[in-house]
Amino acid sequence: MALTRSDLAKYPFTLDAAEFVKLLDLRIENLESDDYKPIVERAEERLRKALSDDWTKAEYSQLLEDVEIPDVEIPSFPLAVMMAAASGNEYIKRRYALFEAKRAYEIIRMEEKLEKILEIARAFDWKVRIVTEKVGGRKFDFALSLRDFLRNTGRFHEKEWKLVNKILLKGEVYLTKHEVSRLLQEEIQRRIERRLNPEFRPSLPESILERVERLKQEYSGKAEKAQLQRYPDSVVNEAFPPCISQMYGAAKSGSHLSHIERFALTSFLLNIGMKPEDVINLFRSSADFNERMTRYQVEHISGERGSRTRYVPPTCETLKTHGVCPVAEGFCGRFRHPLIYYRKKTGRLKSESTSS
Amino acid sequence: MLEMDTLAFIQSKFSEYYVEEAENIDAPASIEQREFGFILFKEKIMIRHKGFKRFEDFVSFLKQTAPAHVYYSTAYYQTPEERMENKGWLGADLYFDIDADHIHTACGKIHDRWTCKGCGFAGRGMAPDQCPICNNRSFEEKIWPCEVCLESAKLEAVKLLDILTEECGLSPEEVKVSFSGHRGYHVQVEDESLRSLESVAHKEIVDYVTGTGLDPLFHGFEVSGLKRRRFTAGPKMDDFGWRGRVARGIRDFLASATEEDLKSLGLNKKAIDEIIKSKEGILKSWERGGPWKILKGINFEQWTAIIKRAVESQSVKIDTVVTTDIHRLIRMPKTLHGGTGLLKVSFPTDDIEEFDPLKDPVAFKKGEATIYVEEAPKFRLGDEEFGPFKNESVELPMAAAIFLLCKGAAKVIT
Repeated sequence: MALTRSDLAKYPFTLDAAEFVKLLDLRIENLESDDYKPIVERAEERLRKALSDDWTKAEYSQLLEDVEIPDVEIPSFPLAVMMAAASGNEYIKRRYALFEAKRAYEIIRMEEKLEKILEIARAFDWKVRIVTEKVGGRKFDFALSLRDFLRNTGRFHEKEWKLVNKILLKGEVYLTKHEVSRLLQEEIQRRIERRLNPEFRPSLPESILERVERLKQEYSGKAEKAQLQRYPDSVVNEAFPPCISQMYGAAKSGSHLSHIERFALTSFLLNIGMKPEDVINLFRSSADFNERMTRYQVEHISGERGSRTRYVPPTCETLKTHGVCPVAEGFCGRFRHPLIYYRKKTGRLKSESTSS
Repeated sequence: MLEMDTLAFIQSKFSEYYVEEAENIDAPASIEQREFGFILFKEKIMIRHKGFKRFEDFVSFLKQTAPAHVYYSTAYYQTPEERMENKGWLGADLYFDIDADHIHTACGKIHDRWTCKGCGFAGRGMAPDQCPICNNRSFEEKIWPCEVCLESAKLEAVKLLDILTEECGLSPEEVKVSFSGHRGYHVQVEDESLRSLESVAHKEIVDYVTGTGLDPLFHGFEVSGLKRRRFTAGPKMDDFGWRGRVARGIRDFLASATEEDLKSLGLNKKAIDEIIKSKEGILKSWERGGPWKILKGINFEQWTAIIKRAVESQSVKIDTVVTTDIHRLIRMPKTLHGGTGLLKVSFPTDDIEEFDPLKDPVAFKKGEATIYVEEAPKFRLGDEEFGPFKNESVELPMAAAIFLLCKGAAKVIT
């Protein structure tokens, strides 16, 4: 089953859609002419929707109606990508990729024919096939290669997405139509994010760049708010999650910590603002303490040495994989990361102390 | 710590070996993209970030230096000799390390010894979490590969190979299994389609083979009731994947569980009594869909604890850190293990049952040496048994002599 023109308008990120745009023979330098105005307007609208809060179902079905004019709809996508990239603003770029991917997800899961979804998936080189027979007493729609499944579930944390909770047979993961649509959303988001990297700015005409600048200013408040959350200035031991609390106690009393525990503890403390010197001192009571070695490792993790990137502690899930998480499922609530636990807990402790 | 004479002797033997055999080492795929690491006898530190454009360069390096340990990266890099952050990671093989150290074996590791680094207190078996005298947590360990340990590790490797071929769909040609040269097995997957997977994806595979995060409700278990939930159906023993493993795990556990075992799961007296007295019925029930309904006194939480134990028993005991590390250096096949003088050897997956880890990895097949053995338990190497020895001079075949020297249990007589 091939993708029709209105399909390309629905899925403008596919290679077929890119081919279509090529055939239209649009020139970037002509974008300011009146002929192209609908495309430019539509591209800006895409970005505005991405930056607005209103991502409701109604919005998506509205988008479906828009696909009636493929000659505008299809080229408006690559232009919107260029504009988002030209903004040079991480928030706008991230938000735009997410929006387009979510929009695609909503449309894909409404597709009635599995063959159509298969076609979109294959446009991303997925190894996937439609399944009709029941497996383990359940009906599925697709069997997807292990590689494509794993490549697209990296950001998921729910237990139903864990490989161990899926049916895996002969290198294929069995999935429903709904699940495959969700994985395609991830794939699309990554593809768009990749395309946002190159700097398109120099090639865009002045009037388009003005539109980009206006957008940036209008949404600057939101972008700032999304910038990284802050931790209290001094370390609040009472707000440590159970794992860190235990490792901290062990380090203080000179008990042995495994490599991953040392890494988790050190990166956690550095991220919440403890000084490298204080972290080094923490390990001083260990029987095999070696100042040179400890300093090297702590400074490496803090980003003062080597790659210059500050390391972040492992997620709760990773700590569980290595058997380091000391508590039962659900004990820490919904938190998926020791740092998030700490941030929420410090926030709560602060509001308790000010309200009393 | 090995004495200089002993060290020099071992190194001269390693050197002889590499001069003759280095050409026969199998070059890893894309050798120019791999990082290499070596531990030399004298310096005792890891030299890493080495790279070889051609296999011949690597061979002559081995002949010249005769290292105690030879490693290369599971990862492929643009420039393997650069510092870590500039190497340009291109991908990595999927790699599993199974080591008897991580498995509770029937021998109880009675052949291993540990000494507390804090107070010098010593004991046999696996080192405790904490020293009973001074509460210190780090120990000097002397470990020994016994037949029971090696057999347990092999069983884990068989379980892993099963999952990789049946469930992950890898062909036997893509899966390389090796004996580590000491107490474990390594499994390496060179499948190109999996090469680009990042660490989170490797972690998911780790969780799959270890059963971490497994929720019974996705594996054929059915539950009824809202307030007082109970299991009404479960998987069958011949089901595929984790379903069958969980069912078999439950059957084995319930068939052999003692009162103590059940107590350790937190079951109350009533539940324990019911399981013990219905053992016959439980065994029979597997022919008709399982014991879910016949055990009336077992509630949801108690079943959950039993299922958890079943998952643990079926999980593959791998070193989770090794597989999730996509920059790992691993021992190279057909090189010598400096801690035993045995080879790391690879073999076809189908041959694992017949593989003899105390015979097939023997490298030094010629000559004898007279050494002074401080202490060694009885052990087998090849078809011969040796020992036990205690403070005595003995003449041994070269492989056995090198083995004891490398283990630090003996020294050369000068």
